[in-house]
Amino acid sequence: MGVLDKLGVGIGWRPEIDLTVERLPGVDFVEVVAENLHVEHLPESILLLRERGVPVLPHAVSLSLGSADPVEPDRVEHLGAVAEALGAPLVSDHVCFVRAGGLDSGHLMPVPRTRDALDVLVANVKTAQANLPVPLALENIAALLEWPDGELTEGQFLAELVERTDCHLLIDVANLHANALNLGTDPNRFLDEIPLERLAYVHVAGGVEHNGVYHDTHAHAVRPEVLELLGELRSRVDPPGVLLERDDNYPSDTELAGELAAIRGVLARHA
Amino acid sequence: MNGDQRERLARAQAELLGALLAGGPSPAGFDQRLLAVEANSLLAKRRGIVAMLNPEVADVLADRFRPLFDEYARAHPRRTGSRAREDAVDFAAWARERGELPTEKPNRWWRRKAT
Repeated sequence: MGVLDKLGVGIGWRPEIDLTVERLPGVDFVEVVAENLHVEHLPESILLLRERGVPVLPHAVSLSLGSADPVEPDRVEHLGAVAEALGAPLVSDHVCFVRAGGLDSGHLMPVPRTRDALDVLVANVKTAQANLPVPLALENIAALLEWPDGELTEGQFLAELVERTDCHLLIDVANLHANALNLGTDPNRFLDEIPLERLAYVHVAGGVEHNGVYHDTHAHAVRPEVLELLGELRSRVDPPGVLLERDDNYPSDTELAGELAAIRGVLARHA
Repeated sequence: MNGDQRERLARAQAELLGALLAGGPSPAGFDQRLLAVEANSLLAKRRGIVAMLNPEVADVLADRFRPLFDEYARAHPRRTGSRAREDAVDFAAWARERGELPTEKPNRWWRRKAT
């Protein structure tokens, strides 16, 4: 997988923490939200990181590949243009839908785990891949609800998606934790079922529990249970990269450095 | 993949978003409690984005911001192609129309238009 063989440990670049990301020690790669970038006006901080040779991977949130509607070409084109401007080896989005029936949910919604929905997703993913200059990785989302009449487990659904589209996987262990707690997904079975050899990298993020429901906020500290799942994953495969996502309620540099160190610690202990 | 599959999925997805965002009937087979959790979570995210984009309006409305925004949001689910900034502007206009916000922004010399 070329450069993806050794992405290392990284953090999500956000404008609010641009200087922090630049000066944190041991940031091997970063991710940017593709929709927030204009190819003609890339942030100086991103250009600086590129000059240093830090890989910058575009992460999309709006392709809505799980939608019944066909893929919107402009969104795919923008993602591809960002990838080319950044010299990125890979781009990503989620296994989800965002829009339906003329409404925009503003968030990542789960798709039904049915054959119908999988066939539509596969067709959309193939369309996106045909129009992207680099490989596509798809991420498991944190769902708060589950569709009735699922025919496949989440792991089986992703495995079949990979088999039929040859996409890569971006596995978010916080989302896996969320689904385990909220929907009863078995995380070990999930890790058994997905093709780990197609793993591009891993997301780690913080969240909070309210009234027995785990919310994947990216605005709180990373929970020990999430790091445990990272260890579980690491004991099965050496992931090319692991990336910390923090999107709000930004803590001190020291705290973020501590979370990156904790990730490195887990990876080393389970090697 | 055939057109029927897209059609069926389109109906199911539209029904779910209609229930979560626009007060439509709950689709069959879903856990009612989780539908409510999801609807609240989507509403909170949208409210947070509008508060961030237009902090002045959120400040002026203070305690009234949340109930007013939630009422506005349920009556005006975000349409595809709309932008978050438009949502913030539309909410302020809606609140102003209802007399919840001053109708005119205070005149400041740097905003005064030449007439």
